[in-house]
Order: sequence, then C-alpha cells, then structure tokens
Amino acid sequence: MAPQTSLWLRFTLRLGGCLFLWWVLTGGRPSSWIIGVPTIALALWVMNSAPQNPALNISFVGLIQFIPYFLLQSVRGGIDVAHRACSISLPLDPRIIDFPLNLPAGRAQIFFLNSVSLLPGTLSADLVGKTLKVHVLDHKVDPRLHQLEFQVARLFNCPLRGGDD
Amino acid sequence: MTELYLGLALILLLTIAIGLVRILRGPTATDRMLAAQLFGTTAVAILLLLGQAAGNSAIWDVALIFALLTAVAAVTFVRRKDIDSTTETEEHDGTD
Amino acid sequence: MALTDLITAFLLLGSLGFFLAGTLGLLRFPDLYCRLHALTKADNLGLGLVVLALMIQSDSWQVVIRLLLIWLLVLVAGATVAHLIARKAQQDGHQPWRR
Repeated sequence: MAPQTSLWLRFTLRLGGCLFLWWVLTGGRPSSWIIGVPTIALALWVMNSAPQNPALNISFVGLIQFIPYFLLQSVRGGIDVAHRACSISLPLDPRIIDFPLNLPAGRAQIFFLNSVSLLPGTLSADLVGKTLKVHVLDHKVDPRLHQLEFQVARLFNCPLRGGDD
Repeated sequence: MTELYLGLALILLLTIAIGLVRILRGPTATDRMLAAQLFGTTAVAILLLLGQAAGNSAIWDVALIFALLTAVAAVTFVRRKDIDSTTETEEHDGTD
Repeated sequence: MALTDLITAFLLLGSLGFFLAGTLGLLRFPDLYCRLHALTKADNLGLGLVVLALMIQSDSWQVVIRLLLIWLLVLVAGATVAHLIARKAQQDGHQPWRR
C-alpha cells in the first residue's frame, strides 16, 4: 500500500473510532455534539502530533482465539488468588523468576507484560533488557508464560525469536 | 433489584473501609498506595451499582473519570518516588 | 425477566466474594508483591462480574459497550499500574518475602 493511502486510512479509522466512542459515551444525544466535535478535532490533532507508531497489525483469527483464552485465564487467576487469600494456612511460596522474552520490542511486548499480571499467580515486575522479571505466588506452579507468549505473537502477527535483535 | 444494588454498594464501601487498615499498617508509602488502588477499582463498581439503582447514567460517567484518575494518581505516585526516593525513611521489613 | 434477575443476583454475589478476597489479600498477604497480585486479579474479576451483571440488565447495546469500555479501561490501567509499582519496588531494592 502506498504511504499516502495508508495515512488516509489511518486518519479515517481514527476519526471513525472517535465518533463511535463519543456516540457510545454520550448515548447519542444530539446536543452533546456541540462539545463532541471540538473534542474529537482536538483528540485527532493530539494523535497526529504524537510520535507515529507503525500501523497496528492485529490478526482477526488471533483475536478470536485470544479473548476466550484471556477471559478463562483471568477468571482462573482471580479464583486462585482469592483461594490463597481465604485459606487459613496462607499457601504462598513466592519467588522472582526470570523469563527470557521472545517477542519483539513494542506493542506486543507491552501487551504481554500487562497480560502476565492478570494471569494466575504471575505479576510482571521489571523488564531488564530482554529478560522479564516475574513475581510468582508459588514457584512450584508452572506459570505457562510460553503459552501466553504464543497467543500474543499470533494476535499481533509477529514472529517469536530467541533473543536476537 | 434496586435493594440488591444498593446493598452490594454498601458492603463494597465497607470493604474499602476495612482495606484502609493497610494505610495504618504500611509499612512503606507504596503499601499505602495500594489501598488507594483498591479504592479505585471498588469505587468504580460502587458507582456503577449506584447508577443502575438510580437509573441515572451520569453516575457511570463519574465511574469512568474515577478509573482514569486512579491510574493518573498511581503514575504520579511512582514518578514522585523517582524524584524524592531519597527522602523515604521508612524501612520495609517484609513481614508484619 | 425473573431468570435474568436471578443471574444478575448470582453474578453480583460472586463479585462480592472476589472483592472481599481482594481486601483480605491486601491485609493478609506478607509483602507488597503478593498484595499487588490480590488487588489486580481479584478486584478486576470482581468488577468484571459487576459489569456482566449490569450488561444482562441493560436493554440497549450502547449501554453494553459503555460498560465494556469502563471495564477495559480499569483492566488496562490496573495492570499497568501494578507493573509500575512492582518495577519501582524492584528498583528500590525491596526483597520479596520468602517462606
């Protein structure tokens, strides 16, 4: 796609997104557009002035598979931590473990970092180079981060590689 | 249903009050900040329930603003600690 | 109508359980990192159940999207803030509690 076309496409998508968001948030009341139109113009101007990221490349199939996976894992995470908090014996054996990231830096990595904190028993604590420090509630339980990494890579259409770049 | 929404909102308010004990115990400023974090998420739930009970969706807008402000407050807190972390005198003893 | 009300009541009771567990974790867990776990996971799930309960009660899809947006915002903000606080604690040299 020519760069000019993709710029217009990006602008149209942003405008459409803003209009939709405003319409949902205000319940579509006609009078709200008096504030809405200048606000959206301002928002588009700010988005345009900010440093431009490469265009988002989300895989639809990846998204369809990620949403149920993520919902199930966050329910499991909530039940797990609630169970630990309510047990008399307080079953915790926390550690900080190192996880070498295979995802390329950028959106996918940030998305991965945030998802880790919502999965059962894991919390992304720090990123040192390409190594993620993960706090786990019980080091005897396999946190299955590779599975999440695979899901995120499929979602963002990006390759998984072992530490080069 | 309205009674259920209001009753739950009231109990959630109570859990916030109990969570405030963490502010008293500390031991570090960061531990106290966590109580504010709890307040953020729970307050959004309370406001959503109140909005539903009152049939007034303006309260939901307050919930949205609350979610935004909690995030801003926490980021400000982390940044502030960057600047004056040397003034922190409390010791973190790890157990309590 | 009665069935949706029943499901709503059920979801709301569930959410109360997670909020209570989150607060309990905040008070009982031995260090900062463990408390962060309790807050991010239990409370976000509690809010998710409240959102789901209210979605079932709503009669317009606009309201459904609005609730979903609020939940997503809290979810993203909560995860980001948890990471920032944990990172700050790491860099300040807070050692995690060990059994």
